[in-house]
Amino acid sequence: MFDWSQEIVLVASILSWFIIVTGLAQTAVYLLQLIIAGYALSTRPPVARSALLWHRYGDVAPPIALLVPAYNEEVNVVESVHSMLALEYPNFEVIVINDGSKDQTLQRLIEGFKLVKFHRPYEEALTHKPIRGLYSSPMTERLFVVDKENGGKADAQNAGINVCRAPLFCVIDGDSILEPDALMRAAQPFIDDPERTIAVGGTIRIANGSRIEGGRVREVRLPHRLLPLLQVVEYLRAFLMARLAWSRINTLMLVSGAFGVFRRTEVVAVGGFTRGSMGEDLDLVIKLHRHMMDIGRKYSIQFIPEPVCWTEAPESLRVLARQRTRWQRGALECFFRYRSMLFNPRYGRVGFLGFGHILVVDVLGPISEVLGYVLIPAFWLLGILSTEYLLAFTSLVFTYGVCVSVCSLVLEEAELQRFPRARDLAVLTAVAVFENFGYRQLNNFWRVKGWWQYLRADQSWGEMTRTGLTGPKK
Amino acid sequence: MLYIWHLSILLSVLSLAIMLLLIVRRVLHERRGTADADQRRSLLTALIAFTENRDREALKAALLAVPARVAIDAGFEFISLLRGEEHDELVAAFNECGLPALVGTQLEKGNGAERIHAAEMLAALRSENAVASLLSALDRDRSREVRIAVAIALCDVGALPPLVITLRKIGVAGQRSRRLIELFRRFPPKRFDELRDYAGRQDAVPFIRAAAIDALARAGGFQFGEFFARAASDRSPEVAAAALRALGLTGHANAPAILVRAMENSGWDVRADAADAAGRLGLSELAAPLAQLMDDEAWTVRYAAANALRSFGQKGEQLLREIAVSEVSRSQRTASLILAEGPAA
Repeated sequence: MFDWSQEIVLVASILSWFIIVTGLAQTAVYLLQLIIAGYALSTRPPVARSALLWHRYGDVAPPIALLVPAYNEEVNVVESVHSMLALEYPNFEVIVINDGSKDQTLQRLIEGFKLVKFHRPYEEALTHKPIRGLYSSPMTERLFVVDKENGGKADAQNAGINVCRAPLFCVIDGDSILEPDALMRAAQPFIDDPERTIAVGGTIRIANGSRIEGGRVREVRLPHRLLPLLQVVEYLRAFLMARLAWSRINTLMLVSGAFGVFRRTEVVAVGGFTRGSMGEDLDLVIKLHRHMMDIGRKYSIQFIPEPVCWTEAPESLRVLARQRTRWQRGALECFFRYRSMLFNPRYGRVGFLGFGHILVVDVLGPISEVLGYVLIPAFWLLGILSTEYLLAFTSLVFTYGVCVSVCSLVLEEAELQRFPRARDLAVLTAVAVFENFGYRQLNNFWRVKGWWQYLRADQSWGEMTRTGLTGPKK
Repeated sequence: MLYIWHLSILLSVLSLAIMLLLIVRRVLHERRGTADADQRRSLLTALIAFTENRDREALKAALLAVPARVAIDAGFEFISLLRGEEHDELVAAFNECGLPALVGTQLEKGNGAERIHAAEMLAALRSENAVASLLSALDRDRSREVRIAVAIALCDVGALPPLVITLRKIGVAGQRSRRLIELFRRFPPKRFDELRDYAGRQDAVPFIRAAAIDALARAGGFQFGEFFARAASDRSPEVAAAALRALGLTGHANAPAILVRAMENSGWDVRADAADAAGRLGLSELAAPLAQLMDDEAWTVRYAAANALRSFGQKGEQLLREIAVSEVSRSQRTASLILAEGPAA
């Protein structure tokens, strides 16, 4: 009779090696990012205090159009726009794009700003759903409202890009809050190196728990609930470690759609945001990299940690799960859409490091880790694997995770110190340890679910239920 | 396999230990921050009192009673709010308290942000040693952002070295910064010839040449008309466009001929700026070439041409109306759009 035990051990060993090697690759990527991010922070361009920015850059700051897609935002839209109009920047316009809202968003804007219909010639450089009307406000020259048929966020942003006249535009979510000096800080790379800089991303921070008045974050506080608190550490790791590191070597693959400044000419040249995309922000940055490398022009896509945009993090598992599965689908969609760039020497560091990162962390990472949760303990219990394998897997899933999370906090505190109280740091340190025991596993489960939805070609966006930064809202 | 486990434990413990130290450091900083804020408040009160009673001795006592870094920080922002005699007296009090010496040290030893701020403060305080410290920083500082800030500060105190030398010291990488536009805009009129000469150099960075032309046009004006006219046919589209913008501000006897030539340039930005200049100068005799430009492949050019026609008044608007009712074309669409621009009827 054939003895299957050797084959079972062989298969188990191969699977275990795959899981451990993928985990090691992920950990190596994170540690590399930590080192580069630490170096980037220590050598980053000088950061001026807010009070000095206007004095120094006010006269040479390029015009910026703030593009704000709004869909069913009737509760907060007027207050959000007031807060955007009060930004400290010498030359900007706010273009709100009402993306066929089913509620009273447009009506609220018309009433709030006494809007009147307006004709503004614009170049139809990008395609989007038809525009029903343009509005301007006699109260301020800075505000324009585009009313269009519903076509999704990317479609609305494309309409805004068409209508805007500034050489730079900034995309921001309608329910986010920009720090008053955020535009001035984000414009700094465009001032220091206007020829090469084509996109700049800033930091997204979680506003849950902070005191917000008049569309401004008046006092920074940590969220009171556990789920947003876990996301604070997660965002810190994503922005301060991953984006800063890749930005340092001009391999930044994502400028968040919640807050990013782009040069209009290049975005128009790549056809704008890809309509219907789950990860339209990632998609655009990849297109920009590809375009600039294809035409052989020197360019820079930067992330700078100082300009801050506040957003509301999901507070329920249901909503968070929807958001994470959507992000996963977005990453997979972009990876497979532009797969020819992976390890393609023509695209240099973007093909190897940028796409390599997506492959290891987003494509293989969740599958291998979730497989590991089930198989490695099972193989060990069955006596197929030695304890060494179990310990190696445990260290990759838990202890290295603790190290990476805490190190990103170390970077934040050593260089930026944005959390106002020592007590906050102590809480975040505890959370950075705790998130590796349960939250990380849950996240990976959602990402595998995202994989499944991607394979089934599920394109649903999912409703993002929010409680509202300044009041209840859905 | 075991070494993966051991290394992970070591790294985790190490990161937690560092974080613990940083938390302790933060506790100490919080205490110092509270003290600094109190001192800053008391100094600002003294500065406001000085603007009312002009008691320089009382102000000096208040300045010396707080740490120098607090005095400099709070003082600089306050000084920048004042003008005239009040400003000069306040600056004198700061100098008598020896604060510029500390700023000089900050210019040498601070981090990048502090060094830039120090350069600005030295320019504001105008101490005896300011020029020497700034010149030394222009020579030696390793950051191009700092060197640009130092050059601006030197310009403000009237001690900027010759432009060619300054730009060489700033370095080629720094010669793409829009901060240089700020430097050129602060240039003293008696040194405008230097800007003109640099703008005319074919070996210089086009961005810098264009920035110099823009600065001359904004401040220097008519005396450089001939230079702008020559630069309008420069090989670099960036320089040619800047020269056309300048001509749009200053005018020139041959402007119509120059603009017509520029409207045929292969660079869309040159064509757009030529159209814009024609509108600014009110050269209604260029209506025909502008009408042709409304069929340009670049929207920016079409829009600039239509806007120029519209700025000619009745004659231009009449032409736009004729184009708007003609056969469907790019020109016809542009004319319709430009005529409709504004609040809807």
